[in-house]
Amino acid sequence: MDFNLPGEDDPRRVKVRAWFEKNPNPTYAQLAEQGWTASNWPEPWGVSADAETQFIIDEEIVRAGLELPYTINAIALNQCGQSLLTHGAEEQRQKFLPGALACEDIWCMLFSEPSGGSDLGGLRTTAKRDGDHYIVNGHKIWTSVADEASVGVLVARTDASKPKHMGLSVFLIDMHSPGVTVNPIIDMTGNKNEYNEVFLDNVKIPADALLGREGDGWRIVMEQLQTERVGMTKPGVVWGMGPTARDLMDGLIKTGRISDPLLRDDAAKVYIEGEILRLLTFRNMTNRINGTPAGFEGSAGKMMSSPHGQRMADIAKRSQGASGMIRDPDVLPLPNKKWGMFSNWDYAYWFSPANTLGVGTQEVLLNVVAERVLGLPRDSDPTAKVPFSELSGGLAKAAE
Amino acid sequence: MNFALSEDHEFLRDSAAKFVDEQVDLSPLLRPGADVSDAGYDQLWDKIVELGWSAITVPEAYGGLGMDYVDLIMIIGETGRTLAPSPLLGTLSGAWAIEKAGSEAQKSELLPKLAEGLKLALAVADENGAYDNMDSDVTAKPSGDAFKLSGTKSFVVDAASADKIVVSALNEGRKDFFVIDRNAAGVDIEVLQWRDITREVCKLVLNDVEAERLEQSSDDVWPWVRDRMYLVLAAENAAGIRMVLDDAVTYAKERIAFGRPIGAFQAIKHQLANIAGSAEGANAIVQYAAWALSEDDGQGSLAATMAQSYTSEHYKEATHRNIQVFGAIGFTWEMKNHLYYKRARCNAELLGSPASQREQVVRMLEQEAA
Repeated sequence: MDFNLPGEDDPRRVKVRAWFEKNPNPTYAQLAEQGWTASNWPEPWGVSADAETQFIIDEEIVRAGLELPYTINAIALNQCGQSLLTHGAEEQRQKFLPGALACEDIWCMLFSEPSGGSDLGGLRTTAKRDGDHYIVNGHKIWTSVADEASVGVLVARTDASKPKHMGLSVFLIDMHSPGVTVNPIIDMTGNKNEYNEVFLDNVKIPADALLGREGDGWRIVMEQLQTERVGMTKPGVVWGMGPTARDLMDGLIKTGRISDPLLRDDAAKVYIEGEILRLLTFRNMTNRINGTPAGFEGSAGKMMSSPHGQRMADIAKRSQGASGMIRDPDVLPLPNKKWGMFSNWDYAYWFSPANTLGVGTQEVLLNVVAERVLGLPRDSDPTAKVPFSELSGGLAKAAE
Repeated sequence: MNFALSEDHEFLRDSAAKFVDEQVDLSPLLRPGADVSDAGYDQLWDKIVELGWSAITVPEAYGGLGMDYVDLIMIIGETGRTLAPSPLLGTLSGAWAIEKAGSEAQKSELLPKLAEGLKLALAVADENGAYDNMDSDVTAKPSGDAFKLSGTKSFVVDAASADKIVVSALNEGRKDFFVIDRNAAGVDIEVLQWRDITREVCKLVLNDVEAERLEQSSDDVWPWVRDRMYLVLAAENAAGIRMVLDDAVTYAKERIAFGRPIGAFQAIKHQLANIAGSAEGANAIVQYAAWALSEDDGQGSLAATMAQSYTSEHYKEATHRNIQVFGAIGFTWEMKNHLYYKRARCNAELLGSPASQREQVVRMLEQEAA
């Protein structure tokens, strides 16, 4: 057992740091050439970095004053890109991965629909084969960064005669195709939108946009969601991103607000939770280094970090009292780090109701933990075994 | 970075598990009216000594096993999981006080006896449970080459079972540590009706009791020992959370209501999933604290304090949920659920409340930032 993190003199770190000294202010394309934007991927895309080496490379990217690639192009680098390594054809890899790794082609994930997000298997968007093309019709929603994305990872129903999870397929589509309309959703924060709805109206996509085989969709999507959880969860305020409880405590101490007895104990509680989440990421890192299958710490991390982030943002906000109800990003002093969109507590607080909604609701995640980890009886889904086209209640209408 | 147990750790844990599973029997405590005198409190001790646990962290130079705190929590996890009644906590605490406050000669004299079964206790808290009382605590008066102690201590774990007791007492305005014989003249020990009947907790009245001063006594001794006691309680707590979770999960799969196992209801699932999260978190923070104390890492004290606070809070919650899942049957004396509920509650008060440890955490962070 050893909790020491790789030190300043670690040869791996020295090598990465020397490169940054020779190449100040690099572009992400240059980082991608080094294999550092997805360092854990195999060559030629990454450098097959183990979890500890990846940790070092990420630390050095932050030290160089850059935002981490996988917060800029999360869908490509965290969730979906690796599916191309496992299921993609070589031409697909060559076509899609270089732009993704250079953070020049932003990807989005066309999964959730108005009829349901957590029950993804019930989605209604269809892709019908028509010669050397598919014709896609449907309506996606809660699509992060769709307004900036050039590539969409689409899951659509290719066979409605099969039960809901069986007839799905995954495609990589050009977001600029005719028939794709992206409408920003203005969420309750009032900040620049994160989410969009996407209308797919007779969108014609080439047959070779299919990832894997027809009907593989559910399996690929589950792998992607698993990658998302296994991906290094950090104890940041929103889904592991942004400032942590350490930053919160620093800010409360610097401003003297920690002396408020009504805040102090809650701040300590959240600090301790944050340290525990950090330890769970270390446990996850160890399992990856040792090649041990990911344990429970992955789901536990997500399950604990969402409400943790909400409590953390609440304390930051509480520390301001009524003046915190005025729109103002300067809630507490923060280190000068590029965290992406959650770089101020005000936004993080007003965004935080989404913590327990995104990537499946907290309730669904608790079910998953109870059923898959604790082995409690599974909730039965009466629609799981029936051909999708025979489902009543209008569920299947759009699929016809 | 390597957050994994070694094969040696796993072997130690598995052999400890085998021992407690074979030897610990809580059934006499499940008869209504039972108290700690029914626990067979000292029965496991000879075997515990044989296994070397009484001297597990005593340095090899003093005849101990010289193992570190990660090894220690492999053992404590198992005794904590099964609520194994024995004077191990008192003995470990007393041994740490001697290790930290004793002179070379005192350590060479006392510590080797642990491997032979010497039982110890450590008396620090006063009658009100305060650990920092400088006014009306036990006082030490010089008497020839030795000292005489007078006054009252309470919440002394394992005092009645002990052969020797380490006592903190006021000496010229300082808190020093002294060793007394349990059977010395003037020692009066009352076993308290402590709600956790798997643990012997006592009140100690001293009347001119002959005592030997530990010669390296200093203000650093108590915080150093306390961190280690935090670790032991936290390791018991973490193992206890896992135990009551597993029990509740097993029960929720078997108990049928409204035609389904109750574990099929989300109201139950969600409670148990949340406890599974705290079990994982408790296990992680305890292992980290054990490592940090073993390495003399600068974060050791902070880690041990966080571990005690987090695990106590969540052990209380988990044992309460465990009773809720069992329903009314879990509220009866004949079931062991209440033994865990009481262990959790008592562990969360014995060395100060989880909130008081959180206050310590914030103070440490404020100091670090200053």
